[in-house]
Amino acid sequence: MMPARSLTRMVVANTLRSRRHFILSAFGIVIGIATFVVFLASTEQVGTVLEKIFPVEQVQVVAPRASLLGKDISKKLDDSIVEKIRSRPEVDRGDPTAVVPRMTLAFPAFGRGNFEGNDLKFEVGGFADGINPAFVNDDDRTRELFKDWDGLANDPRRVACEPPPRDPQEEVIQSPPAPKGKASKPGVYYNPCPQPDRYYCDEVDRTCHHRVPIVMSPTMIELYNGQFAKSHGLPIADTDFIKFVTQRGGLSAMRFSIGLGLTTIAGTNANISQRKVRRVEGVLVGINGKAMPIGMTMPIEYIQRWNREFLGEDAATSYSSIIVRLADRNQIAVFSQWLQDELDLRLEDSLGEKFATALFVIRLVLVLISLVIITISSINIAHNFFMQVTERRRELGLLRAVGATQTDVLMVVLGEAALIGFIGGVLGVALGVALAAGVDWGSVHYLPRFPYKPDSWFHFKWWIVLGGLACSTGFSVLGGYLPARRASTMEPAQALTQN
Amino acid sequence: MVGFARVQAKRSEVAGEATSTAAAPIVRLRDVTKSYGTGAARTQVLRGVGFDIVGGEFVALVGQSGSGKSTLLNIIGGLDQPDAGEVEVFGTDTMRSSDARRAGIRNASIGFVFQAFNLLDHLTVLGNVILPASFAHAAKDVDARGREALRRVGLSDLASRRPGELSGGQKQRVAIARALFNSPTLLLCDEPTGNLDSETGKEVIDFFRELNAKDGVTLLIVTHERRVSSVAKRVIAMRDGMLVETTDEALAAAHGGGPT
Repeated sequence: MMPARSLTRMVVANTLRSRRHFILSAFGIVIGIATFVVFLASTEQVGTVLEKIFPVEQVQVVAPRASLLGKDISKKLDDSIVEKIRSRPEVDRGDPTAVVPRMTLAFPAFGRGNFEGNDLKFEVGGFADGINPAFVNDDDRTRELFKDWDGLANDPRRVACEPPPRDPQEEVIQSPPAPKGKASKPGVYYNPCPQPDRYYCDEVDRTCHHRVPIVMSPTMIELYNGQFAKSHGLPIADTDFIKFVTQRGGLSAMRFSIGLGLTTIAGTNANISQRKVRRVEGVLVGINGKAMPIGMTMPIEYIQRWNREFLGEDAATSYSSIIVRLADRNQIAVFSQWLQDELDLRLEDSLGEKFATALFVIRLVLVLISLVIITISSINIAHNFFMQVTERRRELGLLRAVGATQTDVLMVVLGEAALIGFIGGVLGVALGVALAAGVDWGSVHYLPRFPYKPDSWFHFKWWIVLGGLACSTGFSVLGGYLPARRASTMEPAQALTQN
Repeated sequence: MVGFARVQAKRSEVAGEATSTAAAPIVRLRDVTKSYGTGAARTQVLRGVGFDIVGGEFVALVGQSGSGKSTLLNIIGGLDQPDAGEVEVFGTDTMRSSDARRAGIRNASIGFVFQAFNLLDHLTVLGNVILPASFAHAAKDVDARGREALRRVGLSDLASRRPGELSGGQKQRVAIARALFNSPTLLLCDEPTGNLDSETGKEVIDFFRELNAKDGVTLLIVTHERRVSSVAKRVIAMRDGMLVETTDEALAAAHGGGPT
């Protein structure tokens, strides 16, 4: 075969000399690849957004709901169940947080805080749960702050303090930090703890405690942006929420009080003694997809202690659900069957999984449509190359006369097809990216804001771009093969006598 | 018009090889037959042709149109395959050898000159001359060799021109430079003066004669023209796909009253 350098030089020269042929051949490829990459990039991005809304990388084990005479008699999810699940082969053994129980706050609680000058009050009971801190360690800040501070054996800041006077008319009172460099005003309570932006003075044991670290789901931010902020005249939280809150004094500024045992819901049936009612303080330390979608999530140890304190041992050992990460998503059916047969438990219906399946089908259809376009364009390439080969018979015959083998001629024509396909692919990807940029611009300027609205509707991952280029080159070579074969098997003597 | 430069070089190594193998033919044909078409449209072009060409010969292949001489030239050059017979070129049975082997012989040892020049319009004159280097492995000093070939045909100044800017005579000289680029042992020419005026045609014939005499390049020229065959050392005449005696009458008939 001819040297690669000569082949490359000849292929490039032949391709560039015929613009009409190039445009005719590459046009379909450009359109096909543009649709191919745009479809894939859009479904990829939609998938990413869906996974934010419905985490599909793990399943959630729950006990089927059962009641008798208004009393919940559902099967109890406890540590023995957790251990049984952990021993299953379907579970990802390499992940120490593959099996993580969640526990909901099982009694009323009421929150109060200040945000942007607004006094916020909200129910916490039923909207809070606890989880193993190791499961929620996605970033450094969360890793540092999201832990059981009250469980630490020796916290040097756990010093004695004077709690604020309790106002029976107020459910909870937030501790303000002491003003820096200013004299204390008489009658005003200042947080006496060593690090007042993190610690508060607990009214029960009269020592400083780190505020309960809390993470919230991105869903909460979307709900806030989509409805709450507008209706309450509050600022929209930017996509980069961390930046947003940092501008407002850091996450530690997002602190609030939680009145354990309090509620504003009239007629509540919770049998909580008023003597037990007490307040703690919490602080938002991060936004995390593993948090409860609607509500707040804290280290499970806090929930266990409070459930034990207010409801007893049974409430402190009953989990609301168990999150399980499987080694292989294809094992989900086996695992689900085992749960049902052996433990009488089930997997929570995952809307995310249904969406993921629907998205897969949509993606398949879109990719098929673009492949049909590319296939048609490769037929067009074949047609153009047949014309080219006929027009260039004499030239190809001459190449044979000066020493080209059949393989050389085949490679020259296939090389031209490959180059047209590759350049068409590059132009197609560029066109796709440009189209996507146009759609994104329109989305930013003309589409109203809604929960989980992405900044871009497209995610051009490297494999989409590479796949597009490989597809365009491959289909073009396929289209050029028959003409190339005809060119290579042409009798040079006859080709040279062509008029 | 700039004429061909005088062939200055002494006999090349290739020419030496041709001389040393003078006893053994570099082309050997036996009972070669060839037909085109099928059924009623089948035309027998060659009917049992056989002859040898030894190194250093200057052979003119003459005959009327349709006598089969161009077909024979193509078969010798490996551009066409016979239906039957034996064809040996440089000791290689080209009927049974691989395409790559035949292409290798064409690239290294055979130069072609066509009546229609067959230059590639998108390449420069130099690009056309060095085209055979594209298919040769480890080709060295390609540009320098291409310019030397152009110098030999008197076109040094036109290396960067396109074929479309040249006269017919200049195009044919570019084609000859291309044929000489790899210093071939055998030059196969198919009506090389057919598209040239008589003056330019004469220059081309003189160049071939000198090439044969001084470089020892073996020449096989298919021609209608008596002035070409008259300078050849041997004339092979064909009629109706067969060789005929090379008497004066036969030659006259073979030339068919063509230009002299």
